[in-house]
Amino acid sequence: MGRTVLVVDDDPLTREILATILDLEDYRVVLAEDGETALDLVAGGRPDVIVLDVMMPGLNGFEVCRRLKDDPETAPIPVILLTALDRSEDAAEGAAAGCDAYLTKPFSPLTLIERIVELQAVREG
Amino acid sequence: MKVDELEVMRRQLLLFAQDLQTVSLAEKERRREAESAYRELHTAYINMVRTLAVVCEMKDNYTRDHLDRTYQFAMALTKRVAPELAEDVSIGYGYLLHDIGKVGVPDHILNKPGPLDEDEWRLMRLHPLNGWQLVQGIKFLGDATMIIRSHHERWDGKGYPERKAGEDIYLPARIFSIIDTFDAMTSNRPYRKALPIAYAMEEIERAGGSQFDPHLSAEFVKMCQELGLDERDSTESLTIVR
Repeated sequence: MGRTVLVVDDDPLTREILATILDLEDYRVVLAEDGETALDLVAGGRPDVIVLDVMMPGLNGFEVCRRLKDDPETAPIPVILLTALDRSEDAAEGAAAGCDAYLTKPFSPLTLIERIVELQAVREG
Repeated sequence: MKVDELEVMRRQLLLFAQDLQTVSLAEKERRREAESAYRELHTAYINMVRTLAVVCEMKDNYTRDHLDRTYQFAMALTKRVAPELAEDVSIGYGYLLHDIGKVGVPDHILNKPGPLDEDEWRLMRLHPLNGWQLVQGIKFLGDATMIIRSHHERWDGKGYPERKAGEDIYLPARIFSIIDTFDAMTSNRPYRKALPIAYAMEEIERAGGSQFDPHLSAEFVKMCQELGLDERDSTESLTIVR
């Protein structure tokens, strides 16, 4: 069975594109359209990686990331922030929230897959 | 949709296109590597089978030319009468290995400069089945192993080892029995000189319907005529390039 990736994005098209790309690479994909749903899903079943949008209604991505990293149970799960926010302050805030990688939209699917593979490798030693 | 959203979408599509190109190039490269690996493997297989065949021939009084000639003649006739079989590389391996069972026949019988006695013939007649058994481990050969088993059968059922007759005999084996006989007649043997090619062609034609499949022997003779073989003194250093 492939690894599970949780994709969190309020834009349906982005969710669909990410699901298609990850499916091609044999990942199992779980989708969430907002931060609260994402946190519930993580509590229910641990994904191997989380791909997280930042600007969403309700909890934003920085906040979701912070909560995940504050909880020792969920802190080890790698979080990739994938956002249209491309200023260096944004990336710094992402780092402060504890994210493991920060990618900007528009994004290269190959780069995203590379990051996921790298983070998996780091985590599994 | 706002103009800057369109711009973001445009840049995103461009990135997708670039990734697609990268993936596609990598895929092409991988396919080229796979094809070249396949060709190398195929060449290695051919050489291995050829070496195996040459090792067997070394026991025999024939030279390795016999192997090359019979292989070429057999492939040429196969292309002529059953092009779809000629596409199957294992058929060629079968032709090269036809006499592999002779490794089990004592040298003094193989090289005896005269007719064999009853006991010697009994041993000699074992070579097709022994050879067939030897290559059972080479799964790659498939049906082509039947060339080894049946190349001494006769159309009229008077051959060996199973006295099969007519179309019960595997087609490439029927082809090979003509080629083998023709090459034996036109080669120098320990006990006689090579027979003239034109004479050997007549013999093959005459034996159609008794020793050989009549359709195949007719086609073989036609092929030889088209190649101008009846004009030649011997099959030495003959190359059939198709």
